Amino acid sequence: MSTDIINCKDLVFSYKNDVEETYDASGNPLYGKALDGLTLSVPRGSYCAVLGPNGSGKSTFAKLIDILEAADSGDMQVLGYDAKDQDHFWDIRENCSYVFQNPDNQIVGTTVEEDVAFGPENLGIPNPELRERVDKALEYVGLRELALRQTTELSGGQKQKLAIAGALAMKPTLLILDESTAMLDPEARDEFLELTERMRKERDLTVLAITHDMYEASRCEKIYVISEGKLFMEGRPEQVFAHEERIRSVGLQLPVHISLTNEILKMCRVSATPEDLKTEQSCIAKITETLRNKLPAVCPLKVRGDRPEKGRKIMSVEGLGFTYDDRNGTVLDNMDLDIYEGEVLALVGKSGCGKTTLITHLNGLLRPQTGEVTYYCEDGRTLRGSVKKEVGELRKYVGLVLQYPEYQLFEETVEKDIAYGLKKQKLSDDDIRFRVREAMKAVGLDESVATKSPFELSGGQKRRVAMAGVLVMRPKVLVLDEPASGLDPRGRKEMFGIISNLRKRGTTVVLVSHNMDEAAEYADRICVIKQGKIEASGDPDELFESREKAMSVGLQLPRLYDFSDALKASLKEVFPGIVFDRPQRDYKREASSIVRSVIVYRGGKDV
Amino acid sequence: MFKNVSLGRYYDTGSVLHNTDPRVKIVLYLIYLIITFMINTWAGLLSLALITVLQGVAAKMPPKIMISSVRPVILLALFIFALNAFTQRQGTPVFQKGIIMVTDEGLKTAFFMSLRLIFLIMSTSILLTLTTTPLKISDALEKMFSPLSVIKFPVHEMAMMMSIALRFIPTLIDETDKIMKAQASRGADYDTGNIISRVKGYITVLIPLFISSFKRAEELATAMDARCYRGGEGRTKLNPLKLTGRDAFVALIMLIGAGLILAADFLVK
Repeated sequence: MSTDIINCKDLVFSYKNDVEETYDASGNPLYGKALDGLTLSVPRGSYCAVLGPNGSGKSTFAKLIDILEAADSGDMQVLGYDAKDQDHFWDIRENCSYVFQNPDNQIVGTTVEEDVAFGPENLGIPNPELRERVDKALEYVGLRELALRQTTELSGGQKQKLAIAGALAMKPTLLILDESTAMLDPEARDEFLELTERMRKERDLTVLAITHDMYEASRCEKIYVISEGKLFMEGRPEQVFAHEERIRSVGLQLPVHISLTNEILKMCRVSATPEDLKTEQSCIAKITETLRNKLPAVCPLKVRGDRPEKGRKIMSVEGLGFTYDDRNGTVLDNMDLDIYEGEVLALVGKSGCGKTTLITHLNGLLRPQTGEVTYYCEDGRTLRGSVKKEVGELRKYVGLVLQYPEYQLFEETVEKDIAYGLKKQKLSDDDIRFRVREAMKAVGLDESVATKSPFELSGGQKRRVAMAGVLVMRPKVLVLDEPASGLDPRGRKEMFGIISNLRKRGTTVVLVSHNMDEAAEYADRICVIKQGKIEASGDPDELFESREKAMSVGLQLPRLYDFSDALKASLKEVFPGIVFDRPQRDYKREASSIVRSVIVYRGGKDV
Repeated sequence: MFKNVSLGRYYDTGSVLHNTDPRVKIVLYLIYLIITFMINTWAGLLSLALITVLQGVAAKMPPKIMISSVRPVILLALFIFALNAFTQRQGTPVFQKGIIMVTDEGLKTAFFMSLRLIFLIMSTSILLTLTTTPLKISDALEKMFSPLSVIKFPVHEMAMMMSIALRFIPTLIDETDKIMKAQASRGADYDTGNIISRVKGYITVLIPLFISSFKRAEELATAMDARCYRGGEGRTKLNPLKLTGRDAFVALIMLIGAGLILAADFLVK
């Protein structure tokens, strides 16, 4: 038995169908060669991450492993079998399990246990072994009590656990996770990752995780970075992360604690070795040691938090309540919320906490059962969600972009699709054209795509078209549900760039997110929602000032704040009495702020 | 707007009817279907109503669920009632104004036709959809039609397609709801305007729905491939269908019920 479970050499693969488009798992078209000479090998029993921007060929690679596609040329050995050898086709496939990104599209069964049984049934496992495998797999992922439940009733996190159970019941040797955590909230994601890690240890599995989540990647033993169909980098996480520039050059990012460490070390003109980056503790030790011995010559300027003046109140939610009649349980419970003009307000909370229900009230798509949603016009009039006559106008001022808005596109050209909302208004063709261009510019779409079909575009571009379709109505308040979900790190960054630009132009933005890190970085104000109620709200630096304060309102600290909190604690031991500024929103400013505090402490001179 | 549709919805109460072999339920369902259209006396109708209610109790169905499964057809039932009441000319008139005439015969037919429809839906729900998962229904059909595979009829494939279609109904309903909301927030209006503009409005829902359904279909096919699906040959079943004494007992009770309805229909005048 060889020590490598996967061994491939010079793999080339291109999607043949050039009339119709072919998409990867995240909905991006794949043109030309998806794999262009990929050579790599995966050691047996390891836990590996495959990273790469969208369209880099990582999903294609995973599909080749499970022989869901066949390579054009090159050699591929999986579990010691040649993937081209028809005799071993089932030997490979039966021992590889694949968990996909979208939980809905991989569930075959109507009930939980029927779905888990689907795989082993295909393998022809007889009862009672079949029953035993199903029960054990469900037990393992913690869904035993829900065995007879309808699969459509499960939450996203439960659905992915179900997919894992379905894979486990087939007793695989190799488990492929294709962005399996992308659609989960942080808590569900952490649970999923713990489950995977436990499984690997106890079941002697090899796990290959395709992911965009750098934190997830940092938990792995080995990372492969794929770019343009080739292996770009490989190594232990800390080895890969030591090459910051290279990682960024392919549109990926580093885990935030490594970014911060690198930034501080750079200021001190010290470079980190992979050993330094191994764990958060080693990062902290390295920074502490460096700041003790080698301070930068130039003191960074004092970082000013750009806290804008609060604008006038533009919307308010008062005593809003909402209950579904077919499910018992209150979704919104007497909720109060004010929204101020010009701010970026982030609504954060777990899946099912009522965020989406709240925002569908904001533009009157859902009408208040109890309580009121009010929009305050500039001329002093008010528009209320509960008054039918006023809802139409309310919708003009408050634009709503739901999650995965690219699924709502339908027109032949991008231009027509964006203009759809304007058709009901009596505008001249020139006006419409002007406003479409304006909206396209706002989301950073090039004019050349105006006459293209929206379905030819990449996933990220489609999302922008859908956003433009709402912006074209010139809303004063733009409400976004998870605007960055499913995008790769570069796409996410660009999306938040668009949001920042909209804010600069005076649009009030309300965004729903389960990503605390992004909320903390980009929002002026954060509102934490828990079980249909506002649990806490405030500026990010207020909410996350200290671990204790955040914990008291049941918040998890964003990773940057969390790491920097630990770092500051360590620095306080070395420099007793040191005073730190409030935490900053991004790692660059936080690095400056920390270095500055140390210089001030040691030099005693404030610059 | 689709939240009340119960088509293909399964509601688990763990009753004896839930655990009855689906083949037995399908046959019983067919029998009750025929009976529903055979009866034409009040006594028959009353006993059918009584036995349908008893079935509901046996299935431990909460009345709320029963009502919600009948709700979508109430409008149709009312329409059938009106159609029959106003068009039947036989019998003695009980109401007459101008050319509108309602006769006692007409009323009776109207009652029977509309109630038949409601009982039809109720027994479909109790005997099939609410108490039997779609996968079991397709299992049963697969078994019942398996002789047809001799003449190369793709029985297993048909059954698999059916169960997948049923499994995706709630998912697609959710999706439709989401797309409608998205289009409504860019100014689409599905409730006002004339019929042409309304139909046109639905295009903005249908196109995205089709596109995403194709995408789902493709992903599901890949996922099934990855889970080693290779047709019906050599496949085992977690819950293989097996006729037991209890199934026979349920069948017997239900047949007695059917007999009682027919007896009431023929004998009591």
